[in-house]
Amino acid sequence: MSDLLKDKSQRREKRTVKVPSEGSHGARGKEATVRTKDSISIVSSMDELGHHDDNARMVVTMENTYQMAPYKRFPVPAVEDILKDVLTNYLQQEKYEVEWSQKMTKTICEVIRARVKDLMIPRYKIVVLVHIGQQCGQSMQMSSRCLWDAANDTFASYSFKNSSLFGVATVYAVYFE
Amino acid sequence: MEEYQNGNEGSFNSEEAENVVKECIENIVGAEDYSQTQVNKWTAGIVERCLTQLVKQGKPYKYIVTCAVMQKTGAGLHTANSCYWDTTMDGSCTVRWENRTMYCVVSVFAVAVV
Repeated sequence: MSDLLKDKSQRREKRTVKVPSEGSHGARGKEATVRTKDSISIVSSMDELGHHDDNARMVVTMENTYQMAPYKRFPVPAVEDILKDVLTNYLQQEKYEVEWSQKMTKTICEVIRARVKDLMIPRYKIVVLVHIGQQCGQSMQMSSRCLWDAANDTFASYSFKNSSLFGVATVYAVYFE
Repeated sequence: MEEYQNGNEGSFNSEEAENVVKECIENIVGAEDYSQTQVNKWTAGIVERCLTQLVKQGKPYKYIVTCAVMQKTGAGLHTANSCYWDTTMDGSCTVRWENRTMYCVVSVFAVAVV
């Protein structure tokens, strides 16, 4: 009787351990079903469970592409044409007004981003910056400095002005390694 | 392997960057009045200083720092930016500062390097 009880409890143990291991690793699950009679396999599968937790924490989200440089570079002249086109179309005949300028800055930003995305240059992240200001005879200076990989990353910029306002658009393109 | 992969620290910390930028602006243009001859030096100085302070943090980011300094004449200025990037890892921060004679707008964009 006591032997039977011991056997039953052993079987229970085997069952409880079997379920999680099947859930975690498909391949391991198959091995566990083959070795259910062997008590040593239970211990080893629990270790592997522990291992699996470590692997879950260290999951690699991206695999190595072995790509040394971008296949397609960022076309600076094409983007400059886009900036020139957009700024001229939106600002040519306009006069500076506070609320209109606020909306127009955001709109132009989004339009430029959409058009640069349409160029479909893979693995490049884009940052678009637009400034619209009133022309009051004031003086203004804009400068920027970037810490990046000078071989792959670049920028394009265009400035527009008419009698009442000025507009500056800049696009930075950063290569994603 | 566990030591090398320090895991995802989270996205760009914009508050910390904001403090760094404010401190840089104060140090360079804090007590000055707008001057046409010096503004070139100021913008270059602000941008360079911000960049070196950010790099000292030692995080795996590429940085773009932009600075615009404008004289106060009652004119209006609007700035907008739009970015196509990975929102979980990349981030930006913009700081507006002014004194009696000028406005200064500094933007920092941080793009993650895997």
